[in-house]
Amino acid sequence: MRMTRIKVAAVAAGLAMVAAGCGDAGSSGGETRDVEADENAEFESGTRMAELNEQGSIKIGVKFDQPGIGFKGASEDEPVGFDVEIGKILAADLGIAPEDIEWVETISDNREPFLEEGEVDLVVASYSITEERRQVVGQAGPYYETGQQLLVRSDSDISTVEDIKGTEVCSVTGSTSLENIEAEGATARGFDTYSECVDQVLNGSLDAMTTDGAILLGYAAEDPDNLKVVVEPFSEERYGVGYSKDAPEMCDFINDSLETAAEDGSYDEAFEITLGESGVETPELPALDPCA
Amino acid sequence: MTAEAAPEPGQIHAGTGEPLVVLDGVNKWFGSLHVLNDIDLSIARGEVVVVIGPSGSGKSTLCRTINRLETIQQGSITLDGQPLPAEGKQLANLRAEVGMVFQSFNLWAHKTILENLTLGPIKVRKTSKADAEKRGMELLERVGIAHQAQKYPAQLSGGQQQRVAIARALAMDPKVMLFDEPTSALDPEMIKEVLDVMVDLAQRGMTMVVVTHEMGFARTAADRVVFMADGAIAEENTPEEFFTNPRSERAQDFLGKILKH
Amino acid sequence: MEDIVSNFDLVLSGFWITLQLAFWSALGSLVIGALLVAMRVGPVRVLALFATSYVNIVRNTPLLVIFILVFAGFPALDLLVGTPFLVKGIVTMTIYTSPFVCEALRAGVNSVQLGQAEAARAIGMTFGQTMTQVVLPQAVRASVPPLTSVIIAMTKNTSIAAVFGLAEATARMRGFTNNNADDRILIFLVFALGYIVIVEAISGASWLLERRWRTVR
Repeated sequence: MRMTRIKVAAVAAGLAMVAAGCGDAGSSGGETRDVEADENAEFESGTRMAELNEQGSIKIGVKFDQPGIGFKGASEDEPVGFDVEIGKILAADLGIAPEDIEWVETISDNREPFLEEGEVDLVVASYSITEERRQVVGQAGPYYETGQQLLVRSDSDISTVEDIKGTEVCSVTGSTSLENIEAEGATARGFDTYSECVDQVLNGSLDAMTTDGAILLGYAAEDPDNLKVVVEPFSEERYGVGYSKDAPEMCDFINDSLETAAEDGSYDEAFEITLGESGVETPELPALDPCA
Repeated sequence: MTAEAAPEPGQIHAGTGEPLVVLDGVNKWFGSLHVLNDIDLSIARGEVVVVIGPSGSGKSTLCRTINRLETIQQGSITLDGQPLPAEGKQLANLRAEVGMVFQSFNLWAHKTILENLTLGPIKVRKTSKADAEKRGMELLERVGIAHQAQKYPAQLSGGQQQRVAIARALAMDPKVMLFDEPTSALDPEMIKEVLDVMVDLAQRGMTMVVVTHEMGFARTAADRVVFMADGAIAEENTPEEFFTNPRSERAQDFLGKILKH
Repeated sequence: MEDIVSNFDLVLSGFWITLQLAFWSALGSLVIGALLVAMRVGPVRVLALFATSYVNIVRNTPLLVIFILVFAGFPALDLLVGTPFLVKGIVTMTIYTSPFVCEALRAGVNSVQLGQAEAARAIGMTFGQTMTQVVLPQAVRASVPPLTSVIIAMTKNTSIAAVFGLAEATARMRGFTNNNADDRILIFLVFALGYIVIVEAISGASWLLERRWRTVR
């Protein structure tokens, strides 16, 4: 059982009772695929791919707090989720085994700085492709398409986007989801992590949580008695793989790698054991943006 | 203790008879130091009692016990027949009846002179602001500070501040006034203006307990002199008797020292 | 650049919430802090003990933990569930800041001469009147410089509310940086400037108070 960060702190503050209401978000989606490094991977010298292949290790930024996508329990060593599986596929094609991947937690706000400063080589962290981001970093893909939806308590009356007018809805501080929900007439409440946001919905302080449907499905799958995902997606989010602009050659490599994974079935497998757990159908790999 | 430690009020002084303040068997210790040793003292209405004695004799402490700024461990103190309450509202009510003038004036630094006089009546007596100010100005007139009513304490000389402090105590219409070395912190040229106010007050019939080193004041204004040494009352008498014919050795010694110069 | 200019109302709305949070929290902290100092220096042992423990415990607790307690801990116990977020933010900031106010005031109380309170008691004022009429007004004057530091620190601390549901300045800044990865420096500067303006206003007010009270005495 995993305790959210909030609850650990609340207990530490002397409120042991708080823990009584503790959910066990994060227990599912714990499966991983065995991926074998491609020992024959070869790259033109001077490219970043060759460098990484040579060095035999890679740093990949993923989310640690999104069940089904990128999630790492407090007691676990490695994160799990769809993004993590994508990262493993890309690393394998570089000739790097899963155990040689260093997983770095990235939050929404530090993804660009981490790429720019070389803290990570790749970002696979529910990283929506936008024009602004492409000004400062490279984004290959998309490898997955989703849209903004709402996560509400099972007994909630909210069923359409119109219903959220005048309600209070949370997401991660600074996220685009919050801006969108504000535009729909709800009061936007930002939190540090999705788990804190879910807690606010569960304890009745807030009416709903909003972000990409993929993330919401992960939470709903863990607590189906108390939570449900509602409304048709009202935005389009296309998850891309972030890389440094210093290495534009990475784009073609990532796209090729994704296409190969789609063809040989490893993409489908990666989805089924992670996001697929919540019952969503495995999608086709979306049409990839051409590399510049 | 002298043979006359607990005189019948009115016997050797010019009070009006019935006792206003009565200390009966009062004892106080600071740790192992016995600062008040079996004090019996009765002060009649309208009487002016001057307490003198060497420093450390307990005379200031005695003065401060009468409005319970100092607590006592043994004995009883009554004011107008009522024992001093221990705490809270009743104690506050009692203190309102007892005016106190301190050595270091203790005027409230953030209030004007007039406000220093009206704060007590307004907050404690619930007098209206207008009445309090009217009475305050009368008292300032009486002590000769009326023209400085809007100034702050720090802008006045020590003598002026002490006259204001006396007026502040009078504004509460106290039954008795306590003076704890009221001139000790003053420059010599300012002492007289304060003593004049006190003499005037005595002549108007105010009951007063005055701890002082001003022998001149004791001679002219006191009905009775109480001489303290080592926490006990060593001698009490009329000023004339006391200064011309002290009976106790301690008093003779003390007077010998201070009158030489 | 265009984004922050064309959406400047969001910058202002963020700082408006920061200001509300700071203003009410400052007021709450000053009132609670004054009560705490009255308990600490007062004659009632139990209250003095309570105030001392409160100051020591809260002062040793990180602000973030208090935020978590109020925003996640209390609701889990069915407390404050329907309370507006701004109020919860103010409650949190007040809980955290009042001990610091208490200690700044206590330094001021200690600087007021004992005779001031003695004169008030001698004239028949109760403990409450002595504190409110004589001791605290003078203590506050002596405490203006340390109190100013406390209030400035508190104002900057309100930025933690950004991750507790309040769309104050820092939360808005995060929104802008998230949308405009290419303009981060400018966005930081704009918001830093906003905080500087608020802090300078507090310093200025403090300076005026000090000057006024100095001439009065």
